[in-house]
Amino acid sequence: MNGVLAGRADAHRPSEVFNTLKRLGFGAVVSVPDGWLGEMLVRIEDEPTMRLVRATHEEEALAIACGIRLGGIRTALLVQNAGVLSMGAGMVSLAQRYQFPLLMLVSYRGTPEDPVFYHVPKGRVTEPVFRGIGLGYTCVDRHRPIGPQVEHAATYAEEASCPFALLLSREDIQW
Amino acid sequence: MVRAVRPTRADYYRALADSLPPRALVVTSLGNASYLWAATHHVPENFYFEDAMGLALPLALGLAMAQPTRPVIAIEGDGALLMHMGALVTVGAVNPANLTVLVIQNGVHAASGGQALTNAGLDLAQLARSAGIARSDNITNPETLATRMRSSATRHGAECLVLATEPDLDVVRPPLGLDPVLTKHRFMAAIGAPRYVPTLFGGGKLEGT
Repeated sequence: MNGVLAGRADAHRPSEVFNTLKRLGFGAVVSVPDGWLGEMLVRIEDEPTMRLVRATHEEEALAIACGIRLGGIRTALLVQNAGVLSMGAGMVSLAQRYQFPLLMLVSYRGTPEDPVFYHVPKGRVTEPVFRGIGLGYTCVDRHRPIGPQVEHAATYAEEASCPFALLLSREDIQW
Repeated sequence: MVRAVRPTRADYYRALADSLPPRALVVTSLGNASYLWAATHHVPENFYFEDAMGLALPLALGLAMAQPTRPVIAIEGDGALLMHMGALVTVGAVNPANLTVLVIQNGVHAASGGQALTNAGLDLAQLARSAGIARSDNITNPETLATRMRSSATRHGAECLVLATEPDLDVVRPPLGLDPVLTKHRFMAAIGAPRYVPTLFGGGKLEGT
């Protein structure tokens, strides 16, 4: 795989995520933001090789991403874990049924490292729900460079023809 | 010409098939929106939904962004539009000039047997204008739909035509199976969408990127 060993674990991880998307030819990102994602979205919006779409709801964002990919442009979703909880029907009846390869970069809120009282209920059920709806995913390893992990997730989505989620910590995605 | 009832979906579909712009891509919502369109005008450039209610419009928006030189026509039902009304706002914000939204307004959930909508009397064209889609109108006959589809007027944004339609509750049997993966691959091949080149063959990217 091209460049998977590039980068260092202590590099600015959000920059590595951004640069990896650019290098892999992602032409579009569809998002519903949360507090960790805001600055990343501004950077994407300013990047001439990428198009950012700000959707009103994550299930809508999923469908927009499917449409862009259908039209021949590599596309990533950038959403909070709560957004994946609310896109279950579209996930199974559109993205998975039609086998759309989509990279999903998901801020993982409500973990023991993010014990915000209103995020905790979502964090508690995130992985069981992902497994329940058949959504492939992995959690980022903070001790390894983030760029190759994004690349592996993107490659998995394409080669398995399905959405694939990478669950991100604050330091991975908050600029 | 005086009509006792609203036109049917079939009336509008015949007019649409006769007035489709060249190189059009058509995305159809679930139920008869897809089944009747497949029976009326099946071509590889159709993308059929059979479920995923409310998501035909946002998918068509993404498609219009990715294929800006081709007309993209989304056929959505009023119930589906109400289910994901936020998508109308996103269409208004992105406002691609190559996207035409046709809303079948029949006042019921036709695909599930004709149950009443939450609000069957909304002025959906007014709603679309408020969402930022300036060229939005209520249409009451197929002839006007055809005239609008054939219009060569320069557009500066998306268009939304709300078609007053008589409900059709009998499920139309499509002339072919609408296998979802086949539908997707047939569509992508027809538009020449770049293939993904596997890492085994030195790729890991879409062709040409």
